[in-house]
Formats: sequence, structure tokens, C-alpha cells
Amino acid sequence: MGIGPSTKETTLHHFRDPLLEIISGDEDFDCTGVIIAGIPQDNKNKYFTGERVGAWLEAMRADGCIVSADSWGNSNIDFANTIEQIGSRGIPVVGVSFVGTQGAFVVTNEYMDTIVDINKSEEGIETNVVGENSLTRLDAKKAAALLKLKMRRK
Amino acid sequence: MTQFNHTSQTSMPAVDSSRTEQRASTPERIMRQLIIRSFHVSELCTGTSFSLIKNPSAWSLTIPSDDGNYAEQLCLSDPLIQKIRILPISPAYRHIPIHSIMDIIPISVKAAGKIGEGITHTLTGVYIVLTGVDEEGTPVCAFGSSAGMLDEQISFNKAGTPGDQDFIILFDVTLRAKAGLSRHGPNAAHHACDLFCQEIRSLLKAKSGRECTESHCYQDVIRPDKKKVAIVKLVSGQGAMYDTHFLGNEPSSYEGSHSIIDITGAPILLSPNEYRDGAIRAMY
Repeated sequence: MGIGPSTKETTLHHFRDPLLEIISGDEDFDCTGVIIAGIPQDNKNKYFTGERVGAWLEAMRADGCIVSADSWGNSNIDFANTIEQIGSRGIPVVGVSFVGTQGAFVVTNEYMDTIVDINKSEEGIETNVVGENSLTRLDAKKAAALLKLKMRRK
Repeated sequence: MTQFNHTSQTSMPAVDSSRTEQRASTPERIMRQLIIRSFHVSELCTGTSFSLIKNPSAWSLTIPSDDGNYAEQLCLSDPLIQKIRILPISPAYRHIPIHSIMDIIPISVKAAGKIGEGITHTLTGVYIVLTGVDEEGTPVCAFGSSAGMLDEQISFNKAGTPGDQDFIILFDVTLRAKAGLSRHGPNAAHHACDLFCQEIRSLLKAKSGRECTESHCYQDVIRPDKKKVAIVKLVSGQGAMYDTHFLGNEPSSYEGSHSIIDITGAPILLSPNEYRDGAIRAMY
């Protein structure tokens, strides 16, 4: 399992990504940048990537972070580990991913308490329809609101 | 010594206070500016060659017709490509069979500066839908095939998909048998598609900014007193079509881009403007 047609973020999606639009447009935030991290095949590299992301955010002195993934299944390892690496450094983190009824997390941890589910299909499944379960402006707004709450509680 | 300590202690709160005031009033710093000019296409035709002309209020894009030899020439770009079909599709005629969708791509070009700053020209009203199959009928797709009828396999009007009224250029690649199962096959399809896009980019680059339909200005801003928030995007990088490229020669381009697989998925950092200027090419 990995990226299905309905969750896949196309090149066009990245070009006009609602997540960046909301975060960079919110004047309560100082948007430091977009970290692109791969979901590698090798398990060792999966953990390596998550750790480097965590180290980078610590070095940035980030006050908060949103982790978004357009895949699920074994990609949950990367998603969960990256969130853990960020959360364990004391940085509030919100996750955005496909869950529905089909994509329940195969691994989880204590930092995955604020997740925005991008599923849009009635059945909660991968529908093979391109764009159907992809991230929208509403999902991005939910993530921003959750992050603000989490940062305030810290 | 005592006096020094005393002076130091009494002056400290005043210094702290002034620092706080200074921090609170620190102005935003604008690091760079990106202007994206859109040119809205309201007519898509086929002809003997590429053209992009304004007639008189809207833009008309012409691409080579499918019965010419342009697509055949593109096939020669890689021995793994068996056939390429390039089909213009108007909004009313979307009920047609398609192979699995590999990507949906905007056509953009730098008119000035590099990715993330300067001026970008982009076409709206028309988008590339790249589809792939191999000669044995195996879809070039990752997890799940979107082969079917075009109007049923895309949820339109999303950030990553064309709108109801947009034109689509269907760029359909047939690869040699099993070529879709390793990196080279999908890369060949993206490469050929990018050669096609580059023909349109060359025309778009030369258009005067005064003739654009819309113009938007984006700034990379440092807001010193606000919460520092980063976005982390976990992207495909497992192999074959599971790949993501970044920072190509042109916005959303394949040529000159780097593969996330080649750096074992290690994180890279983009400024907000770099990301919104088409730094990513989603290969899967």
C-alpha cells in the first residue's frame, strides 16, 4: 500500500497547495518553509528521514509543525515516526493524512493525538478517483486551528 | 564593584523592557517576491504546429494534431516508449476511456528569475493529464489504477485537478512490456511529456506581462513576533513510479529536477515561494 489515485497529490496540487495557502496566509504564523521528505523503501532510511526532520525543526526553533502525507498503509511508519521525532522534541505537531475506514493507522504513538483525516468518500475508502480524497482548504484550516490550540496549551 | 553591580541590576529591567518593546515592534521582513501571471486559455485547437495567440480577448492554444508525426517523433525520445497519443479534450467531451492517470500538470515557465522569485507565466484553463500503460495492458500506476472513463476517474475542481470548464490535453504513453515496473519507464513518460510542455513554455515565456489575464504577487515574509510554523510534506520515494522530483529547470518541470529516491528520502527545505512556484513534480 502507498499512494492511491484518490489521495495522490498531483503536480498541479503542489503548485496550488491549500495547506501552504492557509499557513502562509495566516498572519498569526511565521511560515518558515516547506520541508519535503521522502517515504523511502528501506526501513532504516524511514527512521533516518524522520530523525532528520525532527533535528531540522529543532534547529529552526520551530514553535509548531504540520505533517502531511498523501499515502497510507506502510507509509504510516514514516508518518508516525516523523511525528514522534518532532513531538518528542517538545514541538507541537498536527498530522494530516488519509484514514477513512480503510486507512486506520497501522502504528501510532502519543504525539498522534491531533490528526486531520482527509477522507471525503462516503465509504471511507480509496476510490481510485483522482483528487477525491485529497487535501482541501477546509482540511488545511482544521489543521491550522488544531495547531494553534496545541501551541497555546504548551 | 558594589556600585557596578548596583548599576547593572537597576539598568537590567530597563534594558529588558526596551528589548521587549523592540521585539514587539519588529517589522516584517520581505525576503523575496514572486509574481505569477496567468494566461487563460479559452480555445484549444489542433494544427500543424504549436501556437499561442490572443484572439482578441482570450488565448487560443494550438497543438500538433494526433495524425501528424509529432507524437511519433516524441516516441524516439526513449526506447522504452512504444507509442504516444496526444488528445485535446474540451469540457463537453470528457466521457472517453483513458489509461491510469500518472499525473496532472500545469504548464508554467519562468519569464524572469529562478524558481521561487521573479516572474512566472502559467496557463490556466488547460492542464495536462498524463496517463500510462504498457504494451501488455498493465497500467503504470502505484497503488490502485485510475483507468476508466475520464469524467468518472477525476474529481474535478480540486486543487490538484482541472475545473469543470477547463480543457485537458491527454498525454497518453504506452511503454514497452513491463517498463512501468522500474524507474526508467515512468521517467521516460514524464520526460516525453516535458518535451511537449517545453514547446508551449517557449511560447508562453515570450508573452508580454501586459497581456496576462490575472497577476498575483506572493512574498516570502519573516514575521519575527509570530509563531514559527513549518510544513512537512511526506512524499513518495520508494522506487519505480513511487518517486517525487524537485526543483526542475522550469516550474513543475521534469527536466533538470532531482529525485527524492536518489537522496534516500532525506529532507530538503523549500521556501514558501519556491514550493508555490512549482518546485515539485509528482512522479507516481
